[in-house]
Amino acid sequence: MTKLVLAAAALAILASGSAMAAYPERPVKVIVPWAAGGDTDNIFRPFVLPLQKALGQTVVIANIGGASGTVGAREAKNSPPDGYTLYVVHDYIHLTYYTGVADVNYSDFEPICSVSSTPSVLTASAKTKWKSLKELIDDAKANPGTVSVGATLGSTSHFFPALIEKAANVKFKYVSYDGLAQRMNAILGGHIDLTDGNLTQKGKVDAGQLRFLAIATEKRAPELPDVPTLKESGYDIEYAVTRGLLAPKGTPDDILGKLDMACSEAVKDPAFAASMKAQGTDVKYLGRKEYGEFLRKNDEINKSMAKELGLLKR
Amino acid sequence: MRGFVRPRLTGDAVAGLVAVSVSVWLFFVAGDLPQSALVPIGPGFYPRLVLGATALAGAALVLRAFLVGSGAPAAGPAPNYRLVLVAFVLFGLYVTLLPLLGFRIATFLFVAAMQSAIDPPRTRRALLVVTLVALGTTAVTYLVFERYLYVLLPRGTWTDF
Amino acid sequence: MFEQLGTAILDLLQLKFLVPLVIGTFVGVVGGALPGVTITMTIIVVLPFTFGLDPLQGLAAMTGVYVGGSAGGLVTAVLLGIPGTPSAIATTFDGYTMRRNGEPGRALWLGIWASCFGGLLGGVFLIATTGPLAAIALEFGPWEFFALFIFALSMVVGLTEDSLLKGLLAGTFGLLVTTFGSDPIMSVPRFTFGTEFLRGGFDFLPVLIGIFAFAQIMTELEKMHGGSGSGGARAATPNLKIAQLKVIGEILARPVLLLWSTAVGLLIGVLPAIGGSAASVMAYDQAKKISRRPERFGTGIPEGIIASESSNNANVGGSLVTIMAFGIPGDAVTAVMLGAMTIHGIQSGPLFMVQEAKLAYGIFAAYLLAHPIMIIVMALGARFFLRVVTVPKSALVPIVLVLCTVGAYALKNTIDNVWVLALFGVFGYALVKLKFPLAPVILGLILGDQIEVNLVRALMNDPNPLLFVTRPISALLLGLSVASVLFSLWQRRRQAARLAALPETAPDF
Repeated sequence: MTKLVLAAAALAILASGSAMAAYPERPVKVIVPWAAGGDTDNIFRPFVLPLQKALGQTVVIANIGGASGTVGAREAKNSPPDGYTLYVVHDYIHLTYYTGVADVNYSDFEPICSVSSTPSVLTASAKTKWKSLKELIDDAKANPGTVSVGATLGSTSHFFPALIEKAANVKFKYVSYDGLAQRMNAILGGHIDLTDGNLTQKGKVDAGQLRFLAIATEKRAPELPDVPTLKESGYDIEYAVTRGLLAPKGTPDDILGKLDMACSEAVKDPAFAASMKAQGTDVKYLGRKEYGEFLRKNDEINKSMAKELGLLKR
Repeated sequence: MRGFVRPRLTGDAVAGLVAVSVSVWLFFVAGDLPQSALVPIGPGFYPRLVLGATALAGAALVLRAFLVGSGAPAAGPAPNYRLVLVAFVLFGLYVTLLPLLGFRIATFLFVAAMQSAIDPPRTRRALLVVTLVALGTTAVTYLVFERYLYVLLPRGTWTDF
Repeated sequence: MFEQLGTAILDLLQLKFLVPLVIGTFVGVVGGALPGVTITMTIIVVLPFTFGLDPLQGLAAMTGVYVGGSAGGLVTAVLLGIPGTPSAIATTFDGYTMRRNGEPGRALWLGIWASCFGGLLGGVFLIATTGPLAAIALEFGPWEFFALFIFALSMVVGLTEDSLLKGLLAGTFGLLVTTFGSDPIMSVPRFTFGTEFLRGGFDFLPVLIGIFAFAQIMTELEKMHGGSGSGGARAATPNLKIAQLKVIGEILARPVLLLWSTAVGLLIGVLPAIGGSAASVMAYDQAKKISRRPERFGTGIPEGIIASESSNNANVGGSLVTIMAFGIPGDAVTAVMLGAMTIHGIQSGPLFMVQEAKLAYGIFAAYLLAHPIMIIVMALGARFFLRVVTVPKSALVPIVLVLCTVGAYALKNTIDNVWVLALFGVFGYALVKLKFPLAPVILGLILGDQIEVNLVRALMNDPNPLLFVTRPISALLLGLSVASVLFSLWQRRRQAARLAALPETAPDF
């Protein structure tokens, strides 16, 4: 019995080293630079299932969290460009670069595809007195620096309210809360007044514990017909967090092509679509070229935003 | 035993001295950290709070060790520190070699070496057991983690295995 | 309320729910028992298999993993002295000692039954009091959390055997470790000395395994002398027959302890931000405080095991409610559970309990049912678990070290964490040799970041530091911290006085 197990084990060890096939011949690792159970993790776990079907190879998520997602970024940058290590990003990569938190930028990687887009919704605590965006802005104008906003400093949840601050010419007070879950705890208890939320919090709004003041999309969202857009309230702000896949710089062209192909199939998977809908997120597929173009434009926008907000460190 | 306790360098005193010196050193390092306009207290504030407490507690421990002395020396046979040292060195080697030789080879060698260090195999049968345990541990952990738990274990940069 | 629960339990007894629940519980026990494999990791592994199932089936499986894992951790804690999961830390204090005193079966089953009772009691209590408990939890702002964590630390500092001073120092060691790496607010590199290695700081898991595993293994090794160790190390096969009724009786004979530990576990579970590891340590400390013979803690007494294990399973129930009612995770495990709910399209929030009552009570029912299932899994597995005791040290030591290495590596797929493991292995061994208590170090590690973050938040919100003592809950908790330390001092003096009254047993200085 023991011998049999050992023989089988020895065989398995040998076999896994000797396969000679075209890419992908072994499991592909996808680095998610945040902890398991976070927003990004929740989007990519259902995504890798159709992705591995399309690739014909196991795809494994590795959560490498820490230091606002920059530990994972560095790990991804230093990985061999062989298509076996991929990296999940959203707009934070530009922000952490320009605010000086990290020395890794999107240009250290090759774009593969974008996967999803989550629009921001300005969310207020039910313990505040504001029923609308206008009331909030009026109050903030009357009492500058008293409205508290929970945000991950220097990241997307900080920039979105900062854009409103600038457009409406008001002054908020920022309190550091990393991650949506922590911000929700604080806003439910009324320890902060405002935060950058998204559609996943609709349940709490229906229960009267939170208020959606405005959504940062071009048109009103079908799920939230009563929530006005920032545009119709007179502030020209559209803000969404776009998530996509990158590979280390120098990854061969044919591998990137294969990955993009697999990606374009995976986003069509109905189970993935259902899961995105449940998470208040739109499926947003952009191919290699388009996503590269998107990242380039986005980088400029983020740089100028960082500059205007006085956070630019480069 | 009664009367005057002669001051001596006990474990407590050493631990206290180390705690004090490390925390004083880090206390100065923490002073150079840049502060952001957004946050009222800088990144050095909290560490300095903790370091201050560590230094105080450490100093008190040193003082107590000199004034009171620490407890009775342990009874029983002398600990086998050689084996402990060997175990630490072997583990250090294992971690060093892990990314170079790859998980499978390094683990096999480590498990075999560690068994031999703790209980040197004197018979051929014992040698066989050592080999089998090393092979079995390597195989089972590799299969379970790589195949079923989706953890991609390190491959060797020297061996590509 | 309890009617709904009754129907939910009957529903769940259908094969289509029972099968995932049983499989989940089994996988959880195994994952929890393996040192280095955390409950978080086990849930992540199970998660993709549940995508194809309906939400309740999937959540039943994951609830099973959670409950099974929380109990599974005690197996390793009792048999090897290394917590299989962080929440079993306090179980090692008396569980491992009891096993070394020659009663591995009793220690194991005390833990198992205490887990079951703690979990069930906690569950029933929870379902009745979710609302008010959750409302209290929401009142906790940064000031209150800061005060709560200080209180938690003050409790554990008082737990120490040797001296309060060393407990305090051990606590600050733990806090200090968390200050390395990028700071939690603006990610400024701190004490990294320009190295990449320190940029991410020290992750909790490799530090914890490093400290415990090496402290345990190396103290075993130093007792061995040459090859002769092999004969001595091969212990006789332990007596597998233990009277289950007697063990159950031992637990039920201490109703105050059981209820109190369960309550501590529940409260810590309901409060976000600290998880099962803190619950077990705090319950252990509470048990010691209410005991008439506190000096016996750590010598292998049933009270220590009962306190730790009943609280950590009650903690699971508390956390489940918090994530269902507010969508706020307490620790990494609950974060993944919450993620799983989100992926299954569950919008957590108070309305969830009303609108999706069937699902909510289904989860409660799965939680309650997972406990008897866990007992059965344990009963079937106990024979194999206890075998571990008979494995020669020469084989066991390298195997455990390999498992720890893989666990540390798997956390982030980086070799850096294996180095952290080795580094803190040396540190842990040094602490044990210098007779520093490990519990305050661990709690310092768990709370370090949280204390800092909440301190900064409080000051960002309002620069007035007096708020810490003028806000009522915060003031109460800080007051309790002082009281807790004073109580330990008093207890120690009373103990010393009693020992002095018995000169023949007094230690010879």
